[in-house]
Parts: sequence; C-alpha cells; structure tokens
Amino acid sequence: MKIETNTSLTKTGPLKTALKRETKQPVSKRILIRLPLVLWSLAVLYPITWMIIGAFKSNAEIYANPWGLPAEFNFNNFIDSWQNYNIDTGVFNSLIVTVLGALLTLVLAIPTSYALERMVFRGSTLIFNLYISAMMIPMVLGWIPLFFLLMQFNLLDNIFGLTLVYAVSQLPFSIFVLTTFMSSIPRELEESAAIDGMSPYGVLLKIITPLSMSGIITVTIMNAIQFWNEYFMALIFLQSRENYTLGLAVDFIRREAEYTNAWGTLFASLTIAIIPVIILYAIFQRRITKGMTEGAIKG
Amino acid sequence: MVQTKKQKYLFLAFCLVPTFLLFAIFTLYPLVSGLYYSFFRWSGSASNMEFIGLSNYVRMFNDSIIPRTIMHDYFLVVTKVFGIMILATFFAVAIMQLKIKEAPFYRIIFFFPNIMSVVVIGILWTFIYNPSLGLVNSALEFVGLGNLTRPWLGSETWALPSIVFPSVWAGIGLFMLMLMGGIGTISKSYYEAAELDGATEWQQFWKVTLPLIWPQIKVSILYIVITTLNGSFILVQVMTGGGPNNSTHVMGSYLYQQAFVQYNFGYGAAIGVMILVLSLVTVFLLQILLRREKVQY
Repeated sequence: MKIETNTSLTKTGPLKTALKRETKQPVSKRILIRLPLVLWSLAVLYPITWMIIGAFKSNAEIYANPWGLPAEFNFNNFIDSWQNYNIDTGVFNSLIVTVLGALLTLVLAIPTSYALERMVFRGSTLIFNLYISAMMIPMVLGWIPLFFLLMQFNLLDNIFGLTLVYAVSQLPFSIFVLTTFMSSIPRELEESAAIDGMSPYGVLLKIITPLSMSGIITVTIMNAIQFWNEYFMALIFLQSRENYTLGLAVDFIRREAEYTNAWGTLFASLTIAIIPVIILYAIFQRRITKGMTEGAIKG
Repeated sequence: MVQTKKQKYLFLAFCLVPTFLLFAIFTLYPLVSGLYYSFFRWSGSASNMEFIGLSNYVRMFNDSIIPRTIMHDYFLVVTKVFGIMILATFFAVAIMQLKIKEAPFYRIIFFFPNIMSVVVIGILWTFIYNPSLGLVNSALEFVGLGNLTRPWLGSETWALPSIVFPSVWAGIGLFMLMLMGGIGTISKSYYEAAELDGATEWQQFWKVTLPLIWPQIKVSILYIVITTLNGSFILVQVMTGGGPNNSTHVMGSYLYQQAFVQYNFGYGAAIGVMILVLSLVTVFLLQILLRREKVQY
C-alpha cells in the first residue's frame, strides 16, 4: 500500500496535533487507557523478577513465602546448580554451540547472500525462493531423517553436529536479512574496486562485508539468541548428559525437582539461562526488535 | 568488469555451492525423505525397515488421538490469534495515540518475553500454575476465590487453556511493535480530516487506523498461525509433555512421542507429513480469507 504523505503537514503538523491530542484527552480517560499497559508490564515483569529472586532463596523460604523477598540473598542455589547439576557443562556446551553456530551461519550466509543479491545468473530467483520458503515449512518432519543422517555421519549426540544443524536451520532467515541489507549498498563502490583490479573475492571480503556490518551484527545477535535458547533439536539430537546444552540441563533439573523439590536450584539455573539474553537485550534492544519485526514482515 | 566468464562462474560456485550443499543435506533432503519414510514401518534399525504403503496413513485415520491433536493445535491457533491480536492492537493504538512519555518503557518490557527461551517460559509458567506454590492459585486464594483453585496443568479440562496464556504472554510484544510500525506510517492528516468530519475516536479507529494497518494485521495473523502450527509443540512438550491423558498433545508433540519415545519412526513421519500439509493448506486458505481490498485514501 502506498500512502501519500503530505510533506508540508508532516514537517510541522504532527507535533502540534500530537500536543493537541495529548492535552485534549481528559485525565480520567488517559488513566483508564494506561491501566492495562501498567497491568501488562506487571504481568511481564513480576514472574521474571520473582524467578530471579527465587534463585536467592532457600527452599524453606520458597515454601514458607513463595512470592516474597528472601531474608538474605544467598548464592547457594547457584553453587548447587553449577556444581551438582551439570549447569557448568550446560553453559559451556551452549556457549560453544552459540558462538560456533553464529560464526558458521555467517560464513555460509554472507557469500550466498552477496551472490543472490548482486550477481546475475540463471536460477538465482529460484535458489532465493527455495531458501526463503524454508522459513515457512515445519521442520518437525525433517527431524526424523535428520536424526538418522546425523547418526550415519557420527554426529548424533555431538554438540558439533548440533552446531552444524543449527547453522543450516538459520540460513533462510540470515540470507533474507542480509540480502535486504546488501541491496542498499551502492553498486559504484564494487564497480570502482573491480576497475582498480580487485578480485570478486576481495570485493566480497573487503568491501561488501564491512559495509554490511550492521546487518551482519543484527543477524548474528538474532542467531545467537536463537541458538542459546534452542531446546527441541537439542532434545532430539543430544542424549548423554555431558553433551546437554543449557536448555536440556535446566529441563533435567526441573524433572528432578519434581521429586527433590530443589526449586531454588531450578530458579538459579533458569536465571543463569536468562541472564545472557537480558544482557544482549540491554545492549542491542533496538537491533533485536528491528531484526525480529523485519524478519516477520517478510510475508 | 575485467573478468572472464570462467572466473565469474568460479566465484559464483564459491559463493553458492558449499552453502547450498549443506542446505540440501540438512534441510531439503530430510524433508523429502521424511515423506519417503512415512511409507515404511520402521523402529530405527536399518534391517527392519518394511515398506507398508499407505498403512501409516490408514492408521492415522483410525488413531483416536490424531483428531484430538489437530483440534488442540487449532484451538491454540484460534485462541492465540484472537488473544494476541486484540491485546497487541489495543496496546499499539494506546501507545501511539496517547503519545505517552513512557512509551519506550512499554516497548522494551512487552517485547522481552519474545526472546526468552521456550524452556524458561515453560518452566516458569509451570511453576506459576503449580497447585500448591503457584501464583495463580495463591492469587485466587488471596482475593477470596479459593474455591476456583485447581491443579491447572494436571486437569484434563484446564491444561490446554492454561498453555494459551504463556503463548500470548510471550508473543504480544513482537506483534505490538509490528502494528506500531504500521500506525506510525499513517499520515496525521487523515485523523484531522476525520476529526473535522466529527468522527469519534472509536470511529477513527475503525475507519482510519484499522483499514490502514490491515497489511500489518494480515502479516501478524499469518505469522502467528504459521509459528503456532509449526512450533506450539515445544511449549506443550516443556509444560505438560502432552498429558494429562493426551489432553494437551498437539500434532508435533505426538510426533515426538511416536517417533522418539516409542520408536515408530514411520508413523511419526506420516504425522509430520500431516503437519506439513495442514500447515500449508491453512496458510493458503487464510491468505484467501484475509484478502481485502487495499485501502487508499
């Protein structure tokens, strides 16, 4: 849809109208509209905060007063989950999968995105559409054969096998975002570099890659969060506890907690799982929201 | 360009072939061979793979759990679409129209659950629904509605509806932002014109805002439907594992159970084919249904 914006209006108009609109609203009505917003903020913040606070409470405290503050903050739950519940290996494995997976996705996606976006060749649209349509296909069907494929390659129950699967699974999204990004790079730069005798490999590495850095960062953060959070493929493709990623390790504690009632330890492990995401979100909030909304608008 | 044809093709191959090879091996091949496996009875070892034609599909039609899983999936689709779209639209309009100062705060907070791990969301909410310690029952008791407390996830009636709320909770932020993006592109002159004509704010919402953000609404609905049909089973798996008594099984979690717990890989693959077909048909029908005259003022 094309909306003709009246430029003279948008230059001065909106601010004035905005002020007019804000002042025109009666106070009672503004409070009424704000109320749901405040309530929803609480609905989001309260459980998360409560989970993090719970991580600092002893089990006795959790039972006595599940929704209150702890008498004193103690780190025993973190130590317990780290030392006795394999959270240390979980964090380590997840870090490997996340970092290697995100890097591998870039190595695979950047050259393909460049070729699909800039080079003219037969079948380029077909290949592009093949990648993009994979974003809409339910991958569950593929996981059964993938299980046996990994078994044949000796990559089952192997975090490097999982890394490879992760990287390939994020290719469609990454290629989609990167091609969009590269299309905004002016062609003159590549052309003049080529005239200066730079090989296409050099153009890709020294011109295109640095110029698409913003898109590359967005894609990498999105992929990293995805890999850090992923649960189901890890559940299917990993089996032994020493290979568990964080999601599986946390889920394991949860299943144990149903019998041991070690809720504090569970909260501590959940907190460990969520803190890196909170940090990334605090730093890259704009990129993440933009990356996700644009990724979703593709259709 | 000082480049021979051969060099160009070599570069193209360098860019495309390794990536496409891996994509073909780890994405395209599994999808196609999933279809192929669905014609076999197969418990996993290579020796006892037996071709049984359409038997898995016949079995699916006679399996009384299958229609329930489909129903559950579409129950989640419908409740999520309505729950998310109504709340997200309300929040988006409220934030954009009121021009409130703390708008960035709401954007940041509402969106955060979208990037939380499904494991964390699932376990957190399992605990919120915990019969003895959970927030829901504590709150009900606190306001004097103690007779409404129940083991939410342990009840065959309430388990599935209880899964809807975490999904809405986790999804709203993204769609709110998408709709806010749409509202942001609407020229203020439309509202001024509408105001001059004496339209109430309610009318402005129905006659100006909604038609003009229809493309965003359409994309949002499609996105919710696709992600629910293709991924709702992850939350189900974490929160209930399909129980109690299959009352929350969706197609994907049933596939997991058949294939990876009971080792009926052929039957699991047939369920996978069903998911694929239903998902594609639903999206196709929805696209026709949501087609609406493009509005241009």
